[in-house]
Amino acid sequence: MMKKICRFLSPLLIAALVLGSLPVVAASQPTPGTTLISTEEALSAERGQSHRERIHTILARDDVQEQLVAQGVDPAEVEARVAALSDAEAAQMADQLEELPAGASVVGALFAVFVILLVTDILGLTNVFPFTR
Amino acid sequence: MLTSRVWYLENARTAGVLVLRKRLRKIPGLRFAGLCLVLLLLTGCAATPQLADTTQQRLPERLLLDDVPFHGQRDYQCGPAALAMVLNAQGVEVSVDALIPQVFLPGREGSVQPEMLATVRRHGRIPFVIEGNLDTLLTEIAAGQPVVVMQNLSLPAWPLWHYAVAIGFDLETDELILHSGETPQRIESFKRFDATWARSDRWAFVTLAPGKLPETINEDTAIEATTAWERLQGAEASLPAWNAIVERFPGTAMGYFALGNARHAVGDDGGAIHAFEQAVANDPNLAVGWLNLGLLHRARGENSQARRAMQQAADLPGKWQAHAEDALNRL
Repeated sequence: MMKKICRFLSPLLIAALVLGSLPVVAASQPTPGTTLISTEEALSAERGQSHRERIHTILARDDVQEQLVAQGVDPAEVEARVAALSDAEAAQMADQLEELPAGASVVGALFAVFVILLVTDILGLTNVFPFTR
Repeated sequence: MLTSRVWYLENARTAGVLVLRKRLRKIPGLRFAGLCLVLLLLTGCAATPQLADTTQQRLPERLLLDDVPFHGQRDYQCGPAALAMVLNAQGVEVSVDALIPQVFLPGREGSVQPEMLATVRRHGRIPFVIEGNLDTLLTEIAAGQPVVVMQNLSLPAWPLWHYAVAIGFDLETDELILHSGETPQRIESFKRFDATWARSDRWAFVTLAPGKLPETINEDTAIEATTAWERLQGAEASLPAWNAIVERFPGTAMGYFALGNARHAVGDDGGAIHAFEQAVANDPNLAVGWLNLGLLHRARGENSQARRAMQQAADLPGKWQAHAEDALNRL
């Protein structure tokens, strides 16, 4: 009984799988004659970017998307924000947001820091306290 | 809080600070004295930045772009506020409140540089990062462009990243005028401004409608900025920008190449072929230019011209050689 079902189902499944994958194959074949090299591709080649680096750049977008959500950006906004980045910017965001330390408050309450910044403000090196101007 | 923090680039240093702070607690006197000494030595190097003589002659003595609206920042949101000011000055109607969800990173309590540029693109303007020095900054202001600048108002070890909009200057008193934080038309001496600006590697950008270019922009930066913009806004909208680039830089190969691609994308294949021809005329070694010229001729059934162009591409060593040889074989 089982064999009979298998014999009946297998060709159907094979056919379904083959048909299902056809549009993908068709889409990945560039139509001959009309596909030009894009400006972005040409520029990345000019900059000496290798094929692998370029793939990394393209994948970076998914990475950034996840990280923006983790940073508290409204998920409804995330896609549009990532879409507006150039490839280079997306790669930059993907690499650097990873390295960032978990959001600590950097200018701390440490008195020494306060004094140092006060001195440098007065010397005109920094601009932290408005009353030093 | 007057200023906002943008976390960027200085990660390694930030991590180092934590260690330093722990040590400071252990032996505050010693470390403090040492740091003060270093700071005193540092001040010896700080001086008012000098403008080039040619710039000084070109610029008016003082200038204020008083039509740039001011938006006071709230909390850490100097990024959205700065964007609203330059976009409004460009005639783009957008409020700070609308910009906050587009550019602010809640987890970082600030906005990062790539997203500042990206948000400008979303509002139909092209952001051009200008060369980081006082000469270009003042030249752009004199050309009527408010300039978004990034400063670190504090020291590298304890950064207070901040975006402001430079809108004017006074060469007699060596002062810059900025819409900054909660202060409209804030006056900062060139010296203090440059000290804080230098810590962002003097990062600054202007925003312009497609078809206009900043006074000081170079060819490569203009092409890069326009490519990024086209990616989002499409070929048709970017045509004026490419036309402006080939007009400003008539010797550009890449600019004509990009113009050809944009023309092809909107269905103007005749115009695209002209542009590709001009690209390879300007730089006969631009293999990708020959390749696109060949591919487009082939699409139009002009096989002999296609073969000639593809042969040029196939003769040039580099990334496009294999692609060109393959296209030749399929002809």
